[in-house]
Amino acid sequence: MNAALHHAQALLATGRPEQALTELSTLPANEVTGSYAMQLRCAALSQLDRWTEVGDATRAGLAANGPDPDLLLWLGRSEHEAGRDPMAERVLLDGLALAPHDVDLLCAYADLCAANGQLDKAGKLVDLAAARAPQAPVVYATRIQLAHARGDDREAQRISREFVGVHPENPVAHALLGSTSAARGQVDAAYEGFRQAAAARPTEQIFAESAMELRVARHPLMLPLRPILRFGALKTWLVAVGLIIGLRAVGLPVLAGLLGFVWLAFCVYSWVVPPLVRKWVLRGWR
Amino acid sequence: MHDDLFSPTIREQPAPGRPPWRPESIVYPAFFGGPLAAATLGVLNGRRLALPTGHLLAIAGAGLAGFAARAVVEGFTDGNSPTRLAGTVTGLLVWLVVLSLQRRPFRVVALRGHGPARLLGPGFAAAIGCGLLEAILLVVLVR
Repeated sequence: MNAALHHAQALLATGRPEQALTELSTLPANEVTGSYAMQLRCAALSQLDRWTEVGDATRAGLAANGPDPDLLLWLGRSEHEAGRDPMAERVLLDGLALAPHDVDLLCAYADLCAANGQLDKAGKLVDLAAARAPQAPVVYATRIQLAHARGDDREAQRISREFVGVHPENPVAHALLGSTSAARGQVDAAYEGFRQAAAARPTEQIFAESAMELRVARHPLMLPLRPILRFGALKTWLVAVGLIIGLRAVGLPVLAGLLGFVWLAFCVYSWVVPPLVRKWVLRGWR
Repeated sequence: MHDDLFSPTIREQPAPGRPPWRPESIVYPAFFGGPLAAATLGVLNGRRLALPTGHLLAIAGAGLAGFAARAVVEGFTDGNSPTRLAGTVTGLLVWLVVLSLQRRPFRVVALRGHGPARLLGPGFAAAIGCGLLEAILLVVLVR
């Protein structure tokens, strides 16, 4: 492979998409539209969220190289980002017709189906991908997203743990473990996940921002809310209401009334304080 | 073997309407406002999530059943506090119905990259408005 391509690939892997684009622009004209150069270009543009340009680049690449599953993958993703899902589906199916076992294409199609509420089909697609490459990062990420969409937070966190175990160097794995832990109210584990993700890839703004959000959740004023975060609002409330009823039943109405009042104050606190703490912590940061 | 997996199934989605509220957040107005507040917000949110009519009816029915249960408690006990407690408990039960029907569709909407709408204003309005409505109805119907 060309040295410029190597360099661009290394820059991308360390989260420096703009420098990778600069590097790619130094390629001679006949290599710019090559399939691999185009894929790197699309990956860089997607990291910068410039999806329209991803679409333009893949169309140019397809015109120059003819049908190519890897470029069709990027075109499908960019159509999905643009909200043209039926078109994205057609493009991804074209890609899968050329490469029926391509793990990235299968996962991209699963993502698309999940985003359209077709969770069962998405599950079958990702199972096919998992049968091919059970330990590919994209397979883990798609399975986690699917479990989350199903509302199965425990399973999502379990797969994230496995992902981190297999790919301890992958910042996305840590970030996913962070967000799935956050969904289960495990604030410290969530913070740790995003902290490691941000440490592994300091250029990724969203990792740092999520770590900062979790610093809000770890603020001392938020400590009283830990039970709600950890056990969920419902269980905490059931315990409190059960206690209040129980105290009344055993003939302690004053204590029950007191507890009821404390509980009401706690509920108001849980509603009012988090936004204030958030404002306070983030102002110190920006 | 996987032919059905590789045939197109995605149809044009209607343009996104108003963003939904986070179903988990409806617990607050449900707690303070009672079953009717929970059901009102649940039905409005269900429309934003484009739930099938059967689900919307289930939420509305759960709200009415919750209110009926509260009226029964009011009729058979003395004093305010059992009725208040019944309002909270039935409100939470209605919220559970809302959550069970809306969690998945909400997460699918979130997958499409749309953030939730703010519930603060409508939540307060529903909690206060429906709470007062229930209080008045209880006075008129039961006493």
